[in-house]
Amino acid sequence: MVGSPVTLLADAGKRPVARRGVLSRKWSGILEPYLYVSPAIILIVAVMLMPLVLGLSYAFRDIRILNPFSGGFIGLAHFQTLMQDSAFFQALLNTAWWTFGSLLFQFSLGLILALLLNRHFVGRRLVQALVFLPWAVPTFLSGLNWAWLFNPVVGPLPHWFTALGIMDSPFNILSDPDLAMWGPIVANIWFGIPFFAITLLAALQSIPSDLYEAAAIDGATTRQQFFSITLPFLAPTIAITLMLRTIWIANFADLIVVMTNGGPADSTQIVASYIFTQAFRRLDFGYASAIAAVLLVLLLAYALSVIALRRAMSHSS
Amino acid sequence: MASIEIANARKSYGAVHVLHGIDLAIADGEFIVLVGPSGCGKSTLLRMIAGLEDITSGDIRIGDDIVNDLQPRDRDIAMVFQSYALYPHMTVAQNMSYALTLRKTAKERIAESLAGVSEILGLNALLDRRPKALSGGQRQRVAMGRAIVRKPRAFLFDEPLSNLDARLREQMRTEIRKLHRRLNATSVYVTHDQIEAMTMADRIVAMHDGIIQQVGTPIEIYDHPANIFVASFIGSPAMNFLHGTCIKTDTTSAIRFADGHILPVAPRPGLYAGQEITLGARPEHVAIAAPETPGALPARVDLIEPMGLSTLIHVTLAGHELKIFTMDRPAFAIDSTIHIAFDIDKTHIFDRNSELRLPPVIKAPEETTKETSGANGT
Ligand SMILES: Nc1ncnc2c1ncn2[C@@H]1O[C@H](COP(=O)(O)OP(=O)(O)O)[C@@H](O)[C@H]1O
Ligand SMILES: [Mg+2]
Repeated sequence: MVGSPVTLLADAGKRPVARRGVLSRKWSGILEPYLYVSPAIILIVAVMLMPLVLGLSYAFRDIRILNPFSGGFIGLAHFQTLMQDSAFFQALLNTAWWTFGSLLFQFSLGLILALLLNRHFVGRRLVQALVFLPWAVPTFLSGLNWAWLFNPVVGPLPHWFTALGIMDSPFNILSDPDLAMWGPIVANIWFGIPFFAITLLAALQSIPSDLYEAAAIDGATTRQQFFSITLPFLAPTIAITLMLRTIWIANFADLIVVMTNGGPADSTQIVASYIFTQAFRRLDFGYASAIAAVLLVLLLAYALSVIALRRAMSHSS
Repeated sequence: MASIEIANARKSYGAVHVLHGIDLAIADGEFIVLVGPSGCGKSTLLRMIAGLEDITSGDIRIGDDIVNDLQPRDRDIAMVFQSYALYPHMTVAQNMSYALTLRKTAKERIAESLAGVSEILGLNALLDRRPKALSGGQRQRVAMGRAIVRKPRAFLFDEPLSNLDARLREQMRTEIRKLHRRLNATSVYVTHDQIEAMTMADRIVAMHDGIIQQVGTPIEIYDHPANIFVASFIGSPAMNFLHGTCIKTDTTSAIRFADGHILPVAPRPGLYAGQEITLGARPEHVAIAAPETPGALPARVDLIEPMGLSTLIHVTLAGHELKIFTMDRPAFAIDSTIHIAFDIDKTHIFDRNSELRLPPVIKAPEETTKETSGANGT
């Protein structure tokens, strides 16, 4: 601290003098960056990769909880069974129905809601807060609630549908194999609209208002402004949210398990609920893991194709 | 092209009154500059002309039509925004032709207009780029191009140069002027920069607190400011103001400063003995004088600012800070005392209460300038 300022100045800007051997310096130079990131790497490996690899390994083993002799490697046997499993293919079809049926309505209604919330009106903040409400309710409760709403004994919906002439007489659509899927889908739409409304609203609010003013002066009607300004601005948000939600909904079995438990007659069984059934009802963890592995591969392929599509689109335009 | 007429236009946001009755007639082909400090309501007035803001009361006429209730798209005007407001996902060519595409103009006609305008503005090499790949100056040009392509009835500019660096701003100033001469389009140009106003305007509209203070050609406004606000706002370096009391005999008038010094002023109607008045003198109308010069007053040198071409001398006189503009390169010591003299015929006298200028006795016909008597009343 009391060092003479002259020597301090003379040393300024010089690299520290090398004192260690050339070899050890070289090695520490290479290892140093990895040392700094190692806590993050260890954390990621422990929290994300380990369970994934462990789970995948079950798919190649015979793991039945109630069978003490199980646990051995059986190679691809689970996957061979899966190829013959018609319930699995039905679940795959149901998954597509469940996912895209929910997604289409969640997205379009969410977009409309976002556009409405983006206007100025009295009480806008309160309404914006209320829109979040479905998320504040635990999924389990939402599922029970909707199951009751569809139940003609305790719920009003069948009676309203009858009054509107949609139903001949009040009955529970959850017990009709042809209609049962619409029950969880409706609940899921109600549950998923806030996500789209809020993310799209945030994207809408980031659009500079002078662009709309410039377009209005250029002669664009409200509809033309929507297509030439709003949509191009929302496109990246729409692409990413649709992709995320597709994967999320495809894996989201809570509402189905609570409302129909996959029935009646497996008509609402999706792959995720089928995995749940295999693992926790039949206690066949090995087979459940094999199904999960297939689902993982399918969703991965979906995500990669969406990303590739987006990249191709943004490069061509 | 069309004239624009604004009659008693007012604007309030709830209880906040922003514009207090604006009357303005803009001739066909005229380049009008609205100038005033930030927050005085220039943009609001411009946006009312564009149709982006409702008119609380009054009328706005473009050509023969009252446009009060017309949507922006039905007013046939073009606007250049301060932020440029270019469509980020469209190329330069798409940005410029958007308005024509909306009108379903034939493809060949669009290409023709686009080629013409990009030639004028030197945008040919940039037509396929997106706005984010352009420099500030290039974006500014595209914004101009987007306005010009449409051949609208009037152009509105809201501080279009304020995001450019000084040199580019200077260059664009002349370019916009040349463009105006070429297109001869009615233009309303908003700026807070009095140099832009002076150099570009056919007529300047000086605004303050939502009231038009004065309308006139740049030289009229510079030489005959209607009140203290206009006098202080227009001109750089700014006008010097010295407060004092009027003393008067039958034939002569003078101003007495707080320190007792007396300076004769040209007689003018409305001046009475004991009146609180302010003397306004532009820096170029104050000169260094020999001590024996009649009317020369002693002043202390505070600072000397060499500007190359000229020199600005800051002095203190009777407790007022004064700037003197000279083409010489004087070598005064700081804190030394020098003598200064005012060019009495060119100085202005303002009533301190009304802040209005008291015009001198009319000597020659060219003195009759139009001065709106809009004072801000303070
Ligand atoms: N939406 C608004 N609500 C309330 N006051 C506003 C609104 N827009 C502008 N103002 C006020 O109007 C005045 C004039 O604004 P503006 O026309 O933008 O000034 P400028 O002369 O700087 O362009 C400002 O004092 C501003 O605070
Ligand atoms: Mg402004």
